[in-house]
Amino acid sequence: MELLWMIATVLFLYSSLSFLWKAFDCRRNQNCYLLDYVCYKPSDDRKLSTELCSDVIKRNKRLSMPDYKFLLKVVVNSGISEETYGPRSIIEGREESPTLDDCDDEVDDCMYSTLDKLFHRTGISPGDVDVLVVNISMFAPAPSLTSTIVNRYKMREDVKTFNLSGMGCSASPIAIDLVNNVFETRKRTLAVVITSESIAPNWYCGTDKSMMLGNCLFRSGGCSFMLTNDPSLKHRAKMRLKCLVRAHSGANDDAYSCAMQKEDTDGRVGFHLSKSLPKVAVRAFTENLQTLAPKVLPVGELALYVIRGLRHRLRRSKETKAYAGKAVRVNFKSGVEHFCLHTGGAAVIDAVGSALGLNKYDVEPARMTLHRWGNTSASSLWYVLGYMEAKKRLRRKDRVLMLSFGAGFKCNSCLWEVLRDLEDGGAWEDCIQAYPPQSLVNPFMNKFGWVSEA
Amino acid sequence: MPRAPLPEFSSSVKLKYVKLGYQYLVNNFVTLLLIPVMAAVYLELVRMGPEEIMGLWRSLRLDLIQILCSFFVIIFAATVYLTSRPQPVYLVDYACFKPPTTCRVPFSTFMEHTRLISSDEKSVRFQMRILERSGLGEETCLPPANHYIPPRPTMEASRAEAQLVIFSAIDDLVRKTGLRPKDIDILVVNCSLFSPTPSLSAMIINKYKLRSNVRSFNLSGMGCSAGLISVDLARDLLQVHRSSNALVISTEIITPNFYAGNQRSMLLPNCLFRMGAAAILLSNRRRDARRAKYRLVHVVRTHKGADDRAYRCVYQEEDAEGHSGISLSKDLMAIAGEALKSNITTIGPLVLPMSEQLLFFLTLVGRKLINPKWKPYIPDFKLAFEHFCIHAGGRAVIDELQKNLELSAEHVEASRMTLHRFGNTSSSSLWYELNYIESKGRMRRGDRVWQIGFGSGFKCNSAVWKCLRTVKTPVDGPWSDCIDRYPVDIPEVVKL
Repeated sequence: MELLWMIATVLFLYSSLSFLWKAFDCRRNQNCYLLDYVCYKPSDDRKLSTELCSDVIKRNKRLSMPDYKFLLKVVVNSGISEETYGPRSIIEGREESPTLDDCDDEVDDCMYSTLDKLFHRTGISPGDVDVLVVNISMFAPAPSLTSTIVNRYKMREDVKTFNLSGMGCSASPIAIDLVNNVFETRKRTLAVVITSESIAPNWYCGTDKSMMLGNCLFRSGGCSFMLTNDPSLKHRAKMRLKCLVRAHSGANDDAYSCAMQKEDTDGRVGFHLSKSLPKVAVRAFTENLQTLAPKVLPVGELALYVIRGLRHRLRRSKETKAYAGKAVRVNFKSGVEHFCLHTGGAAVIDAVGSALGLNKYDVEPARMTLHRWGNTSASSLWYVLGYMEAKKRLRRKDRVLMLSFGAGFKCNSCLWEVLRDLEDGGAWEDCIQAYPPQSLVNPFMNKFGWVSEA
Repeated sequence: MPRAPLPEFSSSVKLKYVKLGYQYLVNNFVTLLLIPVMAAVYLELVRMGPEEIMGLWRSLRLDLIQILCSFFVIIFAATVYLTSRPQPVYLVDYACFKPPTTCRVPFSTFMEHTRLISSDEKSVRFQMRILERSGLGEETCLPPANHYIPPRPTMEASRAEAQLVIFSAIDDLVRKTGLRPKDIDILVVNCSLFSPTPSLSAMIINKYKLRSNVRSFNLSGMGCSAGLISVDLARDLLQVHRSSNALVISTEIITPNFYAGNQRSMLLPNCLFRMGAAAILLSNRRRDARRAKYRLVHVVRTHKGADDRAYRCVYQEEDAEGHSGISLSKDLMAIAGEALKSNITTIGPLVLPMSEQLLFFLTLVGRKLINPKWKPYIPDFKLAFEHFCIHAGGRAVIDELQKNLELSAEHVEASRMTLHRFGNTSSSSLWYELNYIESKGRMRRGDRVWQIGFGSGFKCNSAVWKCLRTVKTPVDGPWSDCIDRYPVDIPEVVKL
């Protein structure tokens, strides 16, 4: 009977320990690690200088002089340098009638060059990839781009592919959300995400001003990154995902139609950006921050915010005029060290920066990315991250906030924790020494400065 | 004198019973094993007598602490076990778009339009031959923009078609389930060949005023099997988010994809693809389990893209004149068959009863070790499923699958009739087929359904559903006005 008692005790101990281990093990799968990322650097023959932009604009014979002046003004004042890249079809004069091959080539070049580098750097073979996500908003051929990658890299039959499309400039956090959800249902999974945009088939050749802005600001770019929830790869990972917040204000009609791909009165398809875009962006931004702040900020800061808010309200009720205009600010820098802002344009960066209470140092990565790469849509966040890494700003335990906006209208954000000191130059390697430049003014300001005059 | 022919073994009744008995024995092996064990335990207890049993109990010397600890451990173990099990995913209900009669394209209309649009007599005759052998009926529908001569594939018309098909399906679903748009937590939309910015998911969020924290995903370019990819994604999301529901929209927008050229391999989609959409409500809430129609058992995805032939068999490209269209290669059937075989090797062990798996395994071993001339054993999937929904990609696809899986005409009736009535509606066809089976009153509680989709890439995706309650014949829905006319006999060639 002693034996029976001992066996019973051993069994109970074993079962309790194994169940505890199982519960602990479930928790371990729920981390999403960023192993590595590679930003796309097109070849130099694809650089779009202001002069070249001006030539391309002039090729559109439907434009009148005021339109031409307007466009050139946008380009000159955009904060975009001479070093940004465009698709070959536009540079070679085929912007009005790109072939399917042009579109395929543009996207394939980006995907293959970044993926080759990614697999080489991480040492992981394509056959080990379990989940593949591609997000390219404005080009979705059949078979999908995910199938193109599966074919090129001979991936396994049971690879889970997802081809996201139409989700705008803030699609990077959406792809990460998708992968994160899949990670929570499977152990030791490896995911590769490719994010880019297709410019070649979307050049607008009409005369509607609201649609011409896209032509001036969007540039070629892309990024491939690898995520995993395998704890054994943690030591190689660069960052860990802490939280992700998505806010969709599409229920509001203004928000839905403020950034929309549609036909103009002549039947030409273009990307329309309405005047209410800034207002819509602010609303979406606020909604996102309301959910993000409690997850990101330390308890002390949140408590201070509540106290300040109460005080503000009390004062407002007593002295209405003095405090009516002032809003209570939250200091995001108490919970976040680095800010990756979507490079939608100089105005967007400045507006977001001032809303978050950021200084010149904080918005520098976004500003410099806009200068060097232009608005590369969903992949811009990764170029901004690359700048920070190349400047050796990312230290262990730092927190990085990625914030982006997109058509729909969405505002998505995600918070990462840096796991080790990062020093890789990446796509910025050859030019980081020249940043920040003395002046961001377009060198052709003298030549084209007349466009700013009345 | 002519010898009597050898009796057909497979049709011998006695042998059938032997086969049934064998299946029953193998499938319930573990349960049957329990009987002798229980008998032995009972005999032992009877032999020991009550005093000995009490003595045994007392000798364990369990005091209060140990009893409490063991109690705690049992409860803890039960909780961990229950919470770590994957959450069941229920299909509460679904709705299919019923095209208006004004959009109908009978053969005569289609041929007349084709003759007026195309200058090439050969390609007109080719399209006529396709239509004659297609298995389509006279009631399939094309969107309004395609009724113009020539069709007007503008973005505005594409959005209009999307709004028509998707909103109708969602309105139907809302009416049937009492779903409030504000309650939708997850939205997944798949539409292969039309992907505007903002996405179709944003269009739905705008129209129905969904919440700002809805998790929306818009899948595009993923072909005719994308419906099951969306279901797979929704299932993964529902595993993570407790007490949530997901709205899945599967559709294909025809308007922007009219092929205006004359290359034969690219003319087939014009002839076969038709308007359709389906809206599906999935949930993991316990209270929905009571009213749900089906429970999702498995989703298996197979991607054959690594093989170049498979990758190129459904390919969007431009012809010599610069017209964009989808070209279908001649290898399509062979590749579909291979993709299905790969999918079956994964899904087989999950759904086939033990008897079939054992036979398959033994035949495989026999072929490898004893005699390679043995015929490969094709597992009898009719034992695993009561109903089959095969993507109505075209007559040839259905024929091929019927042959490969050894299905009867009744099993593929839903697919054939859907192809006849609605044409190839791409990813939503599986839902029209399911609706056909329900409309015929064949769906009983406990029935298992196998949905198989094929798509560009080349993918073969399967989903297995289990029916939770006998489905009453629907009074509305796409089949309500014509179900009595079905099934129809579809001739090999319809002379035009």
